[in-house]
Amino acid sequence: MDLLEYQAKELFRGIGIPVLPSQRIDRPKDLKGLTIPYPVVLKSQVYIGGRGRVGGVRFVENTIDAVAAAQTIFNLPIMGEYPKALLAEAKYDADQEFYLAVVLNRSIRRPVLLGSQQGGIDVQAAMDQMQHVVVEQEFSPYYARRLALKMGLQGDLMISVAGILEKMYQLFIQKDLDLVEINPLGVSPSGTVMALDGKVTVNDDALARHPDLAAILETQDKTAFEPLTELPVAMEADGQIGILCNGAGLTMATMDLICQAGGKPASFLNIGGETQWNSSSNILRQRLERGLELMTQTKQVRVLLVNLVSSLIPCDEIAGVITAFLKRRIREPRGVSEIRPDTLIIHTLRIPQLVVRLVGSECDRAKARLADAQVTIADTLDDAVAQTIVLAKSVTRDS
Amino acid sequence: MNFRSDSRVLLQGIAEPLGAIYAPLMKAYGTNLVAGVSPGHGGQTLHRIPIFDLVETAVATVGAIDTSVIFVPPYAVLDAALEAIAAGIHQIVLITDGMPPLDMVTLLRKAEATETLIVGPNSPGIIVPGQMLLGIHPVEFYTPGSVGLISRSGTLTYEIALELTQAGLGQSIGVSIGGDAIVGSSFPQWLQILDEDDNTEVIVLVGEIGGDSEEAAAHYIAEAIDKPVIAYIAGQTAPKGRRMGHAGAIIDSQIAELGTEIGTADSKINAFERAKIPVARRPSQIPDLVKKALKLPMKR
Repeated sequence: MDLLEYQAKELFRGIGIPVLPSQRIDRPKDLKGLTIPYPVVLKSQVYIGGRGRVGGVRFVENTIDAVAAAQTIFNLPIMGEYPKALLAEAKYDADQEFYLAVVLNRSIRRPVLLGSQQGGIDVQAAMDQMQHVVVEQEFSPYYARRLALKMGLQGDLMISVAGILEKMYQLFIQKDLDLVEINPLGVSPSGTVMALDGKVTVNDDALARHPDLAAILETQDKTAFEPLTELPVAMEADGQIGILCNGAGLTMATMDLICQAGGKPASFLNIGGETQWNSSSNILRQRLERGLELMTQTKQVRVLLVNLVSSLIPCDEIAGVITAFLKRRIREPRGVSEIRPDTLIIHTLRIPQLVVRLVGSECDRAKARLADAQVTIADTLDDAVAQTIVLAKSVTRDS
Repeated sequence: MNFRSDSRVLLQGIAEPLGAIYAPLMKAYGTNLVAGVSPGHGGQTLHRIPIFDLVETAVATVGAIDTSVIFVPPYAVLDAALEAIAAGIHQIVLITDGMPPLDMVTLLRKAEATETLIVGPNSPGIIVPGQMLLGIHPVEFYTPGSVGLISRSGTLTYEIALELTQAGLGQSIGVSIGGDAIVGSSFPQWLQILDEDDNTEVIVLVGEIGGDSEEAAAHYIAEAIDKPVIAYIAGQTAPKGRRMGHAGAIIDSQIAELGTEIGTADSKINAFERAKIPVARRPSQIPDLVKKALKLPMKR
């Protein structure tokens, strides 16, 4: 999960990486209470990069200009994303701009320090001169000096850039991050350095042991009351097929097959594999119930393919969860309080057609239970996909 | 590598929900499960498996241990694995999903220094059909034979094992290296192990989007593997930049805005095709490609 620039800079300030005085602006009139002397720079707080090239960064000399510029930036989407906040920051005259990063490299399975003397908005130039140092063993500051020297720096500037890298690494380890990036690191004519922009990517799996980060991100621990950690992912706007599987690989493979066969997925949901330490048949049952609820909430899903491969729970129990869910859905029409009774019938018919494919123990009993509930059952994955496509074609024809 | 049926196995996290379910299943399948560890449960037994508070106490009581299979909660995995290494265990299988990757970096530094093999995390582990189970593979989907199955996923691995079994193709081993971005053992390592394994005649490699381990595998196969290999890649239609449920399965550019897209299905399929390795379009095509590689009759 990415932090916004102002959130990243809070972390920088905390660890001792120099940042300029700045203030978060939630609405243009906040600028009237600005405590930073003009001139200031106003920056759109969005997750996507490249905001400077499209007008998301503006320099202003006084309050009147600042309010007008802020209004413009608040109304300017950056690649479709509107800022929820701006950052007003003191202006800095940089002589040079460097690129610095600490990133976890999955191929070499180590953190890597990256640096280039060509920072700033021209990312290709930064790339061309990028230097790297792999932190093979326990970190020690010499790794940072090694990178600063590889970047072609010397003397005091080499020492101060290495000092910044050391603090970036400390932050990276302390907060379990995937990425800490400073681009640009401004270098003033006198040789002092300043983090002018910052990017931090938090590791999702580590977030629960960093309540301070969770507070910054304003996320709640969803797992505490929600059996599912994943939510449905929307695919094509004109798709009709929903896909519900257990496990990431199986979900991807099932969706690939649907697309190969000419089907259009509306959304997919992975209810989780079996490698969670607290998995049990009970948890799997709850996740399936919740998954069925979520996937049948959108009207767009007309056919729902349920493909489960489990050793934790016998198939007839899975079939029991599915049939119980269908019964509940038909008996308890939702959200029809003020509508005429006849729309109630239409509403209950809105449950998507189900194609279920189960493998595991007690499969025959599962089939009998599902057949009673008039659910289409498939033996193999290929059959399940073929039946889903046939049903999707027939519902598209009918509508 | 010592994954024979007589190798001595420890289960760390035997009192945790998943560990408690699979300990008896592993034992019933023939795994020589000599002890369990769960802090606070020392002195108890589960299905006649003695439980200890510490790995070193387990080793002192039951004797040397070859492999530990770890089922503890995500933030306790690093500690459990370091404890196993300190007690002289050289093969560790990490089942748990959700281990922070920097814990894995710390563990790998230690594992490399002590020549410890780490499989996982976020892995169903290893099955040697008919002999032993080091993890959570559903044994009923597997049957002994000569296909070596290596993958990065759980339930998709089971699916493919079932396809093979139903087509009359048994397996010499089923291994998942794990679905996380940072994992211990790699595809090349397992390719080398299976290339030297007398019971394996053909290797099926099940990859997915994210990272470059399939590309590394394709290179390694072209250079060093004599046995036939069949590949399959999941995630051709997965949306970009989105974590798919495996922390490792994401198409991304590693540094914001810099560099090209890493980890696409196309890149992986191209790498295999360049190395002249047949790539199955769908799981059900794998048995046919295996038969072709083994020059078996193609009747289904």
